Amino acid sequence: MVDPMTLSNTRSARGTSRWLGLLTCVAVIVVLPLIFRDAYWRGIITICAINILLAIGLDFIFGFAGQLSLGHSAFAGIGAYTSTVLVTALGANFWVALVCGVVCAGLAGVLLSAFAVRLKGHYLAIASLGFAVITYQILVNWISVTQGPLGIYGIPPPPSISIPGLQTINFSNHQAFFYLVSAFALLTYVLLRNLTRSPIGDALTAVREDEISAASLGIKGTKWKMMAFGIGCAIAGLAGCFYASFIGTLVPDAFFITESFMILAMVVIGGRGNLWGAVLGAVLLTVVPELLRGIGDFRLVAYGLALTLVALFLPGGLSGVLIQSARRFNGSVTRAKSETHA
Amino acid sequence: MLEIKSGTAGGTSPAGVKPLFDVGNISKRFGGIHAVRSVSFEVVEGTVFAIIGPNGAGKSTLLNLLSGNYQVDSGSLTFDGVNLAGKPAYERARLGIARTFQKIRLFKQLTVLENVVAGFHIHRRIPVLEYIWPLQAAEADRCRWREEALELLTFVGLKDRADVVAGSLAYGQQRLLEIARALATRPRLFMLDEPAAGLNNAEADFLLERLDMLRKRRMTVVLVEHNMELVMNVADRIYVLEAGQQLFVGSPAEVQNDPAVIAAYLGEELH
Repeated sequence: MVDPMTLSNTRSARGTSRWLGLLTCVAVIVVLPLIFRDAYWRGIITICAINILLAIGLDFIFGFAGQLSLGHSAFAGIGAYTSTVLVTALGANFWVALVCGVVCAGLAGVLLSAFAVRLKGHYLAIASLGFAVITYQILVNWISVTQGPLGIYGIPPPPSISIPGLQTINFSNHQAFFYLVSAFALLTYVLLRNLTRSPIGDALTAVREDEISAASLGIKGTKWKMMAFGIGCAIAGLAGCFYASFIGTLVPDAFFITESFMILAMVVIGGRGNLWGAVLGAVLLTVVPELLRGIGDFRLVAYGLALTLVALFLPGGLSGVLIQSARRFNGSVTRAKSETHA
Repeated sequence: MLEIKSGTAGGTSPAGVKPLFDVGNISKRFGGIHAVRSVSFEVVEGTVFAIIGPNGAGKSTLLNLLSGNYQVDSGSLTFDGVNLAGKPAYERARLGIARTFQKIRLFKQLTVLENVVAGFHIHRRIPVLEYIWPLQAAEADRCRWREEALELLTFVGLKDRADVVAGSLAYGQQRLLEIARALATRPRLFMLDEPAAGLNNAEADFLLERLDMLRKRRMTVVLVEHNMELVMNVADRIYVLEAGQQLFVGSPAEVQNDPAVIAAYLGEELH
């Protein structure tokens, strides 16, 4: 069968390339705020890291478990408001509040999916959209807690961390905040990617591809869909906590349904079902609009147009195109090699 | 080609042998249509039980009732002493009932190998932490099931297509892959819904040969099939279904010689 030597070689090769990839990501994260020195661009790269969290969370639900959710921004809102209210009104510690925000968003995701798992495709999309509308209305109207449309102001950044022997890390500094969010985004990405490559990932893709077939193999679709919603929405909650703490003000409009569409656009344009496509989409849809600021509200038109074009011509998104051309390239390399051998 | 077996093997289930699968008086209605009416039979462990009948007789509905894709309106289903009533499909799969589908339902965008690996789902166990941080156990698990999947693919003759996307396989190969995927659950009862439909003669012969291998390994099989040659060659007992109810049940030889069956279904096909 398979030669054990080649097997262990490919395994260590895979391990090495994995660590190389991780190191590259760390290097990029470290270097970015050194390239972008003004507060404006440092703000944008921080928002970019937050959007990456949102996009990979949705990709887990939509790309891997195959559940089209149009309400992803609502879960970010639940995380943001939970943690912010705990910090500002009850004086909770930021990290405790963050955990609460993540858990609440995750539970809300499980709750929605518990009602919605029997729904598929368009019906699930409408149910999740409805959930997002309801959440928005609650944020606007529950004034005693959320301050309604006026919003919550003066949200403090996470408390400084002092490490003995090093200087105190102060998160009112944009650079430090960027490192904080990026570290969480990278960690989340790595854990999520590992999860998608585990037997759980196999079960999720089976459910996505054909739920009836999956059931015939003993895979309980509803259970895995609920898990995907729970994890994906918890990650959205995490993004929401950081968002509130970074911007310093919180208004319901930040979690309006158009934001859900933007997150979906990131996943679809980047290419769903492989996580790094979602990262690519999040980076593009955060940075490009900043470059196109001049066109104002035409940005939404541009999103719509980009989504339509991708759906029509690039069903695998940008990452799909890249994977295909890499395959073609590898194929031609292998062919060239075998020709030289011959 | 295999010889057609005589009726002695499975004319009636031998007294005292406890059946693996016991179906008692099950019925199913869809609105005004009585799709399955009081069907009863027993499947003895290690035998091949075939269900035949004309189009629209309710064969696929019956199989869906057995697999849990539909639930019965009345009647009892017992598998190895476990009452299946109300149990959904995934629970029945976990008890050891596997199936293939008449209309092929592969995971089309996954590779051939990934399809089979998905079939191992209920047997895969790794430490919880290794789901998000894979170490030796996760790696060993991956390698082990990959090997086992390749073995099953060898069994159905698809080993050299392991890394192709399942949707790109030829029709007959897709049917064989579904069989490999279902076998990956390591079933004690294997149900096939028209496995020979759409196969050419060579493919049907290969299928027959593989089914016979399964039978020799004492796999219990429920086979819904149109291809008479296949059924007569591989089945121990044949249940003839017409308009949702039993027309006849017996060994292949008995079925072939029963005037009612010939009149209703077989016609001149076998003579």
